[in-house]
Amino acid sequence: MDLNRPALPLQNKATPRTRKALAATAVAAALLLSACGGGAAPQGAEQAAAADPASGANASGAVNICGVKDASGIYKGTAEAFTKANGKVAAKYTEIGATTDEARTQIVQRLEGKSTECDLFVTDVIWTSEFASQGWLLDQTKLVEANKDRLIPSTVETTKYQDKYWGSPFFTNAGLIYYQKDKVAKPESWQQLYAEAAKAPGNGYVYQGKQYEGLTVNFLEMLYSAGGEVLNEQGDVKIDSKETRDVLNFMSDGLKNSSADRAVLTYNEDPARLAYESGDFGYQRNWPHVYRLLNATPLASSFAVAPLPAWEGGKASGVLGGWNLAISAHSTNQAGAVAFIDFATSPNWQKHVAMDYSQAPVNEAAYSDPAVLQKMPFATELLASVKGAKPRPISPVYPQISQAIYKNVYAVLSGTASTEEAVQKMAEEITTAKASF
Amino acid sequence: MATRTLQAPAKTSGRDRAERKLAFRMTAPSLFIMALVAAVPIGYAIWLSLNQYSVRTAGLSRFVGLENYVNALASQEWWAAFGQTFLFAGLSVSLELILGTAMALLLNLAFKGRAVLRTVVLLPYAIITVVSAITWQTMFQPNMGLVTNVLSALGLPGGDVVWLGEHGYAMAVIVMADVWKTTPFAALIILAGLQVISAETYEAAELDGASKWQTFVNITLPLLRPAIVLAAIFRTMDALRVFDLPFVLTRGANGTESMSMLAYTQLRENRLVGEGSALSILTFLTVMVVSVIYVRFAGGNIRDVAKEEQ
Repeated sequence: MDLNRPALPLQNKATPRTRKALAATAVAAALLLSACGGGAAPQGAEQAAAADPASGANASGAVNICGVKDASGIYKGTAEAFTKANGKVAAKYTEIGATTDEARTQIVQRLEGKSTECDLFVTDVIWTSEFASQGWLLDQTKLVEANKDRLIPSTVETTKYQDKYWGSPFFTNAGLIYYQKDKVAKPESWQQLYAEAAKAPGNGYVYQGKQYEGLTVNFLEMLYSAGGEVLNEQGDVKIDSKETRDVLNFMSDGLKNSSADRAVLTYNEDPARLAYESGDFGYQRNWPHVYRLLNATPLASSFAVAPLPAWEGGKASGVLGGWNLAISAHSTNQAGAVAFIDFATSPNWQKHVAMDYSQAPVNEAAYSDPAVLQKMPFATELLASVKGAKPRPISPVYPQISQAIYKNVYAVLSGTASTEEAVQKMAEEITTAKASF
Repeated sequence: MATRTLQAPAKTSGRDRAERKLAFRMTAPSLFIMALVAAVPIGYAIWLSLNQYSVRTAGLSRFVGLENYVNALASQEWWAAFGQTFLFAGLSVSLELILGTAMALLLNLAFKGRAVLRTVVLLPYAIITVVSAITWQTMFQPNMGLVTNVLSALGLPGGDVVWLGEHGYAMAVIVMADVWKTTPFAALIILAGLQVISAETYEAAELDGASKWQTFVNITLPLLRPAIVLAAIFRTMDALRVFDLPFVLTRGANGTESMSMLAYTQLRENRLVGEGSALSILTFLTVMVVSVIYVRFAGGNIRDVAKEEQ
């Protein structure tokens, strides 16, 4: 036992050390996790170079297009068709994210790191100003102007930032109303839709009311048709308005009088579609891709499609979605990228965009093409929605603006804030966001 | 020091020092790697949190000192997320420990197929959190979810509630999802603790005429304390960093936004690198303070029990 004695003080001394080591390990583990989120700081300002519209004709080599997982096959299909048609330039599509959010993270990482891996990025319409303001994209103003007569003006506007165009629209997207023609009438105004929806339990309206980007879209569609706006042409905050209050009250009343099921507070696109497919509802707001899915259900013969309705006494409007083609400032084959854009936006290929992939073309003529109409019988309604739609607020801090909108709209809908509180908070938060450094 | 040198032979002290030097040299490479993989990113994150990086002008940044922290600590969002995270951690960890102890006691009984059952109960823990979150979301779906349908079929309350769209209910679903997933983990640690309690202790208690309940309260629980504390530390640290469950289930709506979600939104969605890093560091500090408290107070118990056993 005596032999052990001298060891004891050491052991006692070691205990606080063990304790420290434990704590240190914990700290290290936790910090490592936190630190991973730190990301790289942006660095190196650049003057944006411009794409030359004439360069596409003499292009050669390889073009790599990067973007979100190709669920409909449109990106890979376009790349293949382009390669075949062009003969000199070989295009390939690289999936760099399973979801829109992931793809954005991946694109931002590549752009921040000045990666030359991708020549073109498929960008969500709401990313334009953020990417352009960072000097990450090639200025496409000349290219867009050369192609202007074949593109629907509202879709071109989604690529604009500070009077220049930073991308070319590839395909667009606008909300549609799906309705059960055996139960409810075609919606002419939001007021009529809500009134009709409240008439019987099976007439209800489903939309995307979860606290996320989709709620911003659903709200803005109504706000725009009511004549309201978030930012004006000069970029001043205009959300604190009578229109905003009217729309918020209208939406929250709709939940109280059962025009819309309270479950919409948990719905994004897919749950809304699934709920509608149960046959228990009269109206659904969703994107065009739902058409094909609904056609495969027992509702196939009883549903119809309408453009988004107007606000009573106003005109119909909407919010543009869709995807643009942006050329990376670090692309090593800009001419090849221009050639690809020329092909993808050509009137002929735009027909395939609709026929083969059920996406909304950015070329107006495609909507009245007989072959397109056969595959996409709601093309006329879709065109009406697209032409009436407006972009979401254009700002490099759009994500923050959108959060200010959907969080506060959600608070009103779920009943945790009054319209007045929400409007003021929204205006305040958007103003703060706009003042971001 | 002087008395100690007098008491202890100088020889031992010299060898002692040499041994310590050797120990230091032997641990140096791993310490160095630890510093590299942990301290460097931590230091970088701290540096980022003291700056602001422009979201409108490429490459522009400015040093702001503690401004990001001051802003965060002055914001309602941070304190709301702070409170919600602790509420979540408190509820889920206590439920997990209670259920985990019960589960461990059951698994410790001698019965046929025990080994198989021990493996099977671990299954929820093996499922990716995001996947289990989606499963729970589907189960609580209004109109078509399993839980809501069963509740309405039985005429029980809750069948017509939009669980994920309601304050309180949304938190309940998130707590349930977490408890379902991680109780087996707590149970496993506690089971390990149960197995080191010697059978003789129980025999002695039986001889003294102790009832089953007395045995549980006076023998099992005190001896199990180190294992329970260990499970509590692991689970609390995890729970305070919760991200995937609220992210998938509610996107932070209805009082479920956690500290990590807030940091993620600032860093990833808004690309406010400085502000987001400050939130990460604050989250980290919170977790660290809580774990140090655990190690300090509860950790003492671990040592006491260890000594008693000797």
